Amino acid sequence: MLTKINVGPIHPSTHGVLRLVVTLDGDTIVDVEPHIGFLHRGVEKLAENRMYMQSESYMEKIDYVAPMAYSDLYVAAVEEATGIHPNERAKYVRLILLEFQRIASHLLWLGTFCNDLGLMFTMFTWTLKDRDLILNLLQDVTGSRMFYVNMRLGGVSIDLPPNFEEHANKLLDYLEKRFKEYEAFLEKNPVFIERTKGVGVLKREDAIALGVTGPVLRASGVNFDVRRDYTYYAYEKLHFIPQIQTKGDSFARYKVRMQEMKESIKLIRSALKLIPEGDALGMPIKLISPPVKEKEVIVRRELPRGEGMIFMVTDKQRPYRLSLRTPAFINLSALKQIAKGASYADLFSILGSLDLVMADVDK
Amino acid sequence: MKINKEELIKKLKELSSSGYNYLVKITAVDYIDHLEVIYFIRNMQNKKEENVRLDLKNGESLPTVIEIYKAADYYERELSEMFGIAIEGREVKRLLLEKWDGLEAPLRKSFQWGSDYKSG
Amino acid sequence: MLISSVEELIFEVIAIFILIVFFDYTFGWLERKAIAKAQLRHGPTYLGKFGVLQNLADILKLLTKENVIPKNADKLVFSTVPLLLLALFIFLVYLLPFPNSLGIDISIGLLAIFVLLSFSPLLIFLTGAASGNKFSLISAQRSVIMSLAYEVPLILSVAAVALYTGSFNIANIVYSQARIPFIVLMPIGFFVFFIAMLAELERPPFDLREADSELIAGWLVDVGAPYYAMALFVDYTRMFLGSLLISLLFLGGWLGPYLPGLIWLLIKVFVVAFVIVIIRATTVRMRLDRLMRFGWFWLLPLAVLNIIFTFILFVK
Repeated sequence: MLTKINVGPIHPSTHGVLRLVVTLDGDTIVDVEPHIGFLHRGVEKLAENRMYMQSESYMEKIDYVAPMAYSDLYVAAVEEATGIHPNERAKYVRLILLEFQRIASHLLWLGTFCNDLGLMFTMFTWTLKDRDLILNLLQDVTGSRMFYVNMRLGGVSIDLPPNFEEHANKLLDYLEKRFKEYEAFLEKNPVFIERTKGVGVLKREDAIALGVTGPVLRASGVNFDVRRDYTYYAYEKLHFIPQIQTKGDSFARYKVRMQEMKESIKLIRSALKLIPEGDALGMPIKLISPPVKEKEVIVRRELPRGEGMIFMVTDKQRPYRLSLRTPAFINLSALKQIAKGASYADLFSILGSLDLVMADVDK
Repeated sequence: MKINKEELIKKLKELSSSGYNYLVKITAVDYIDHLEVIYFIRNMQNKKEENVRLDLKNGESLPTVIEIYKAADYYERELSEMFGIAIEGREVKRLLLEKWDGLEAPLRKSFQWGSDYKSG
Repeated sequence: MLISSVEELIFEVIAIFILIVFFDYTFGWLERKAIAKAQLRHGPTYLGKFGVLQNLADILKLLTKENVIPKNADKLVFSTVPLLLLALFIFLVYLLPFPNSLGIDISIGLLAIFVLLSFSPLLIFLTGAASGNKFSLISAQRSVIMSLAYEVPLILSVAAVALYTGSFNIANIVYSQARIPFIVLMPIGFFVFFIAMLAELERPPFDLREADSELIAGWLVDVGAPYYAMALFVDYTRMFLGSLLISLLFLGGWLGPYLPGLIWLLIKVFVVAFVIVIIRATTVRMRLDRLMRFGWFWLLPLAVLNIIFTFILFVK
């Protein structure tokens, strides 16, 4: 006997407004149909009516967990169009800030993932405290804790403060200790392992066919990371290694993100040692007509949730068409296939491990 | 590469069997008298990317590529409701917009700002 | 302790009721503070010196709100069964012996308690099924399924205790722990009883019924505010009952040097309750089928082993 359950838009476990209509046969899921669009704000259409640098603030609000990554993606697209590229120091500065943003985003994911599994809020408050420390550091650099809008054409808006290196190193030491504790707490916990190992398996061929991206793709054994394959900024010089797992279940997706956090710490440390002297400031933001040269621009970045891509057709003062590819959109479409045949309680483990932010899905 | 609408399925089948098996995005640009639909596909082995373009006149419909790439489901649904392109071969439901029947497709240049607002 | 007059009866009833309310209130405060500290927060601090009056304010607020019964619910069952549940648990506390001539002494106390305790899954299922929505029904089903797996080890481990003592009278069981408490004599039995009791009390990690992130609040999704306050009362009284049983049957009850018996009993009860709270702050919720497997394949054989050992080692 099939029952339809509505896991409604307001729910303590779906990271935003997502409506799932789940068809159950007893306790087994037969079909999951997501209804999205609650948070659709038409960013692509809005950008057609705004000058280039006016849309940077819109792009940040697409992902409210890791805003700097999207503003970097958009400003890189405009930089490709105008030919104003960041200098060496600006590349390192951007890399350091983006990697801190990645750690902060994964920390929030870890807290909400454990929430979904039933560890009511204990892990959540601990990881949020660590994320708070990172946001304090970013506040010292950019002036705000969320929605920084600090990327400019050719650099950043404010350079790193003089004592940034020692603060950052102290914070990184603290974070390394905390990650060891989190791993020891979670990976030796038999209930956690039982709820994530073997749950929501996504095989390699399915992962490529469904078009998923980011940690979900790497957890299924596909060796692809934009930071290495379409490299940008200074990732090549810092010897970046993508983290791969092969099983493709929820535990593999968790493990990939934990390893990515540790890899980010290594990247930041080596970037802080190798950063050259100079001036990382970019052009001021009130640019009415930047010198646009290219007609069409394609830019890719590795956002914390996956691979983001912008395809932009340019006009003199504003984009003619801004086409945005967001990772959570396509990761959500894979939910239907992953969840088929799982039990109902596993649905939340799978949903949590996909790391969805609904604004990312709805643009 | 630029192709005609009739060769779309053949060309994509050819590419997907030669290793280009990952669909990155299907997007479209509105050039007022015609639309240009672009398929971005990628080869996961040698990491090369290819974009297949075709021109679509206003009111024409697009064949579905879901048998070749399963990832095309959401992209085609979004394309069909944002640009008003009909997809032939399967039934597509709305994805992001609700109660939009009879109104102009939002991402076309002929969309009047505020035309979806019913006063009163 | 025989009851010789009506005044004594009334005195006993009132005294034990005050004890229940005192424990429930203090335990509620203790739980909120302990969980908060484990999660790097403070917990209630505003009302009263350490937030002790917070629970009182919450209960008063809940009792003054309107009671809403959903349209699809079965009015009669929905309104009366929670009251029955509360009455059941309070009655069960009365069946336990307390020191200093409180409480009733029944020669078949142990049997009576566990027979009546197995009514509770039935009543919880009725409440869930009568509230007319799918989430409550699912959570009610889950609680019945869970009790299937855990009642048997619970009763078997208690049977070992009764076997050793040779009687069902709880006061006798406490007195026969005068030299060594049963936790030392039958550690396996204590372990099985503790875990099965956690499942019976539906505390984390066995709190499937109110799986917060999956079914919102489970069977409590649709109850009105006064019934919610009563549901909290039922939960804490059940905790009191469980901790009392653990202390009386395995930890030596009210026996101990220097302090009067009642104080010893309360200390042991609070220690057990504190351990249960710490377990709540640090565990992940288990999935239903793993729970069932754990109950049938681990606890049940351990309980049977426990009885065999007790029989061989001590009852000869």
